[in-house]
Amino acid sequence: MAKPIRSDLFDRRLLVNVGKGGVGKTTVSCLLGLLAAQRGKKTLIAEVDGAGRAARLLGAQPGEVGMAQTVRPLLSVMSVEGSAALAEYLQIILPVKRVIQAVLASRIYQYFVAAAPGLKELMTIGKIWYEAERIDDASGERSWDLVILDAPATGHSMQYLSMPRAAHEVFRSGLVGRESQRLVDLLSDPLRTAVNLITTAEEMPVNEAIEMYGRLTEDLQMPLGYLFINRVHRAEFDEDAIAQLGDPARLADPKDRALAAEVIRRAREEAGWTAINASYLQKLRDCVPLPAVELPYVYAEEFGVEQVRDLVAVMDVALGASGRRSGKHARA
Amino acid sequence: MRPVVEVENMRGLDDIIGKHKVIICAGSGGVGKTTTAASLALRAALMGRRTIVMTIDPAKRLANALGVDALGSASTEVTADGAPVGLLSAMMLDQKGAWDDLVERHAPSEEVRNRILANHFYQHLSQSFAGSQEYMAIEQLCELHASGKYDLIVVDTPPTRHALDFLEAPQRIADFLDRSVVKWFVRPYFSAGWATMRLVNRTVGFLFRRLEDATGVSALSQVSEFFSDMSGLFENFEPRVRRVDELLRARETAFVLVASPEEQVLGEAEYFLQKIDELGMSLRAVVLNRVHSEVDGSRKAIGAEKLKPLLRHLGASDDLARVLAANFEVYESLGRGDTLRIEAFRRQLKRQVPVAAVPNFTSDVHSLAGLRSMHPYLFNEEGSVSLN
Repeated sequence: MAKPIRSDLFDRRLLVNVGKGGVGKTTVSCLLGLLAAQRGKKTLIAEVDGAGRAARLLGAQPGEVGMAQTVRPLLSVMSVEGSAALAEYLQIILPVKRVIQAVLASRIYQYFVAAAPGLKELMTIGKIWYEAERIDDASGERSWDLVILDAPATGHSMQYLSMPRAAHEVFRSGLVGRESQRLVDLLSDPLRTAVNLITTAEEMPVNEAIEMYGRLTEDLQMPLGYLFINRVHRAEFDEDAIAQLGDPARLADPKDRALAAEVIRRAREEAGWTAINASYLQKLRDCVPLPAVELPYVYAEEFGVEQVRDLVAVMDVALGASGRRSGKHARA
Repeated sequence: MRPVVEVENMRGLDDIIGKHKVIICAGSGGVGKTTTAASLALRAALMGRRTIVMTIDPAKRLANALGVDALGSASTEVTADGAPVGLLSAMMLDQKGAWDDLVERHAPSEEVRNRILANHFYQHLSQSFAGSQEYMAIEQLCELHASGKYDLIVVDTPPTRHALDFLEAPQRIADFLDRSVVKWFVRPYFSAGWATMRLVNRTVGFLFRRLEDATGVSALSQVSEFFSDMSGLFENFEPRVRRVDELLRARETAFVLVASPEEQVLGEAEYFLQKIDELGMSLRAVVLNRVHSEVDGSRKAIGAEKLKPLLRHLGASDDLARVLAANFEVYESLGRGDTLRIEAFRRQLKRQVPVAAVPNFTSDVHSLAGLRSMHPYLFNEEGSVSLN
């Protein structure tokens, strides 16, 4: 059983968003980032698959890997990639520039980075940790109040999230073992970290979300945040209402007949998806005991600025209420 | 309903599944690759070709329908009500433990096999060895191809970050085991080889001292032992990678890109097209799933005011007429958006390949009948199926 959320989601240092490919993880990460920034948190969205989707969704061109790029007041995005993160890390721990360059250029190093199992995953999480804990030299303040990790699709995210623990097990005594321990500490601390599950209310994504919930709570023992259910259809009519309509064939004009048939077809599509969503929403309620936020399906020609703004408003209401409720709950 | 995006060269997909020996369905996650692969395979089987579909992670009911609901199923003939369905077979790859399989399969002796499987380093990290699942899928493909038991093999690719991971897996594994580099790692850690290298090359020496600090000496010797055992495992790996590569580039192999008309998905699809071109592999068709379409593509908004009287005429209450008309309007805008994005995507295609648009079905496609219901949108159903 999951522990209840003790504080506002945005009081954490790190939010990890996981879910099946194609369910809208990047969209949800951007919405959370926009909302956090709107609530005054200096926020970084860190995107792991490196495709620059988050930047593009927020209307910016993807920037250089490993470099934060400001896209809104208080909101930045960054692409994180393991081998770039390792190079950056080596530059921090190896003080001699000449040696670093020789190391980075050597064939053995390049081979090692490409082949060493789990190294890229480990360095990616390491970079996220670094950003989450980073103190700005000039101001002496934290660089970010909140880091949102837009994780890759489920199978890969498990590899990322389990890597610090695995590395700690293998390299207990060495530097890697000690550094890994710090990552494990961050990832398993419910005050600093929350993992959010993202899904749509359809068979495969829901199955993955349920499986992921089990692995996160049992194997990885990571603190969980919210369940975000994306693209939910809520028709104001059902199949029964449609079935009671008369046959379009009774209309005199053939154009009207065709048009009425199309209207009914689309009504069936919407009612059908509403029914599918409803049954998987129930399954999620039964199997994933987390506070849930439903995001409505967006019926726009294009998913643009206006649609993003509307969804942020939905999330604002949902998280605001839940946050307060669980706050009271915690005090009670 | 007709697909709104006109399928150019309507015989396209029938030709493709009729002429090729291997079809690889590629695309990013969540776009319906598995169902598309199964639907194409079913069609080929119904055309009379001995066909097998290799699925990776089908929905339970689809796996059930294909008879591959047990993990790692060997190839099984697909039946409906006890009768075989055309000449269709299916198999499911077990994604978990792909490396264990590789080790089991290629270890030169039982002793080496046991030593690898018991290696501490291997046990903890084997999940994250690069490309093992993708490689196992390709190796399986080569085996099926070599067996000559099938006229057509349809492959569903693993859900990777980028569709390309699948294509590059053999090369990545080859790099992983690149003997000229690996030989430095495979010597027993305390051997003279390492000591000499550390003395001879200052950079390497420095790197290894740091590596020792980083991993601890005992872990490093485990790592070294592991690489040493693994290198023996892949004695004949190079020729195998070459064979795989040849098969992926062969004229008898066709790639079918599966996507959906969302901005992000199409963006990745464009990148995939560019890469597959660079790699010298051939894209033969595009299948777009979950496509919304406008009424006869007229792009003229049909106002709610025109619809409400029609619906009232069919017995709808004012309220129902209002919500149904509003629903129609929003679906029209979805259709308009999808049509515009698909048109822009088609303009990017270098060569003309068939582009099939499959509508957004109101139920998940999980049965043979469901797979069959995709066919009118994938193929030209009007003409009879030709077997020449």
